[in-house]
Amino acid sequence: MLAGTRALDTLARRAGRVASFDAPALTLPGVELLQVTYELGGGAPESFFPPALHPTLPVLAVLALWRADAGPLGRFALAQLRLSCRSGVRPRQLLAASFADGEPARAALNERFAFGARPARIRLDRFYDRVEGGVEVDGASALEVTGLGPLPLAPGDLQFFSSMHAAETPKGLRLLQIDTEVRVTRAERAEPRLTQFAADAFGIPGVKLAYPVAAFVALCDVTLPRLRFACRPDVPAHAGTERLS
Amino acid sequence: MRFGIFYELSVPRPFAPGVERAVYENALEQVRLADELGFDTVWAVEHHFLEEYSHCSAPELFLTACAMQTKQIRVGHGAVVCVPAMNHPVRIAERAAVLDILSGGRLELGTARSSTWSELAGFEIDPDTTKQTWDETIRALPRMWTEERFSWQGTSFSVPERAILPKPVQRPHPPLWVTVTSPGTELDAAERGIGCLGVAAASFKEQERRTAEYRRRIADCTPIGAVNSQVATLNFLYCHEDPHEAARTGLGMLGTFGQENAQLLFTREAYPTRAYGSLANLAPAPARREGSPGDATGVPEGMAIGDPERIVRAIKEWESIGVDGVNFLLNALEVIPQQQVLASLRLFAREVMPRFRKKGGA
Repeated sequence: MLAGTRALDTLARRAGRVASFDAPALTLPGVELLQVTYELGGGAPESFFPPALHPTLPVLAVLALWRADAGPLGRFALAQLRLSCRSGVRPRQLLAASFADGEPARAALNERFAFGARPARIRLDRFYDRVEGGVEVDGASALEVTGLGPLPLAPGDLQFFSSMHAAETPKGLRLLQIDTEVRVTRAERAEPRLTQFAADAFGIPGVKLAYPVAAFVALCDVTLPRLRFACRPDVPAHAGTERLS
Repeated sequence: MRFGIFYELSVPRPFAPGVERAVYENALEQVRLADELGFDTVWAVEHHFLEEYSHCSAPELFLTACAMQTKQIRVGHGAVVCVPAMNHPVRIAERAAVLDILSGGRLELGTARSSTWSELAGFEIDPDTTKQTWDETIRALPRMWTEERFSWQGTSFSVPERAILPKPVQRPHPPLWVTVTSPGTELDAAERGIGCLGVAAASFKEQERRTAEYRRRIADCTPIGAVNSQVATLNFLYCHEDPHEAARTGLGMLGTFGQENAQLLFTREAYPTRAYGSLANLAPAPARREGSPGDATGVPEGMAIGDPERIVRAIKEWESIGVDGVNFLLNALEVIPQQQVLASLRLFAREVMPRFRKKGGA
């Protein structure tokens, strides 16, 4: 089984920071979600992950854009790039980069759940024939993505997996397992279309999103529960996983 | 009770020159021994692109070699992916017939639709359509084997009137199976009158439920050809006189299989669809520590890992819930040295197999 080979200093460079592991759960009602998935190309699969994680073959690049218009953090948008992997034998996605539009929300997500989100202008526009998303960082376009021709699916047809967020913590550099719970009330599948992707901005320089997989659009309630596990990034999950609560 | 051996042909990294050949040669040696020992079937999967997990992309060639080197053992081409973009139905019928001829009528044909994103995307196959194309293909196969001239107007493929040649040796045709990973596929098998080839490790309770439902449904089936009403399940075999040594080595194999299996990217994980209702994970669940139906060695329930007596007990349990056959994976990524695999096969044949054979014959 391939294990990650990524140097920890490159992981630390994009890591978030949490002062404690005691953040209370956070529920965001009525989140509009556009998720676009591509296969990753242009690098050895194991090179994207620290030794604690194992790549899937192939690695999926999951671009997720959230727009929350109400809820405890107010109005904000979030863009994430996650990479499919395994912790032990369990399916996970490593957060490679994230951006947030809306300062109070960005600060809260970073402090409580180590999103490490950088400021950006994020757009998520829904039309009847498509859903368009975009991310602009420091005035330059980092992402332009579209889900074309959304067609209804059953909410249960969508799959969500826990994420691993690299974070500087009181115990040192750790991968925090974020067991995001998503209650879907509307689901549609769409055809993915990517017109702009700045790999540098998303922390994977030189890498291409090589092959379109799928896109979906959903309306959902998202809960970020209390942290349960932290993993040392330098050793396999069975040896380096600590229970937090 | 029928016993088979089952090959994914997993290959350990690094993929240095000669490693794949060694895996194939070890497998062929095991098949020759299994034939001498009285095993009933050798199965080989069809997989593509699955690094380490399975380098068995041309099973019909491997099985031809098996057939040429053996006398009795049946060759299980299982499962062929019945999706035209990967295997045109006519080519499936032709290749199967040739293998049946060359083996002297020893072919079993398993059918499937593929469960990984890696394979479906590699052939640009729409996951939403695979169940339909599988269904259309398996209905056509018996006709291609039995009709002098065959024609088909379908949704996934069409063929003007043609003679599909050669015809298989077995009459009316080789037994047909479908691989069962997702719950519910056993009902598809029953309704079409084809065998239920379990390829995911199911618990006794789950297998009992599936088998009972299969038996109930197949009694009223509309068969697509000659009825094959057998139920087979997949297992792992490591037999050793010392139960602790058996558990240590066998669990090493199970753990290795679980890891190589984990690295696969299943369709359900990548692509939102109702056509793939489960992740189709093939790895057995670990034994629970308390109240486990497994044993103190940590071997999951029903696994054929242990000393001969333990394996006899496990197989009798499978037999009691109506399973007709058990197919065994013998190794994973070659973690068990070849001589130990062969010794395990010999011990199983000497101490276990006779307990399930009727007097005076197989």
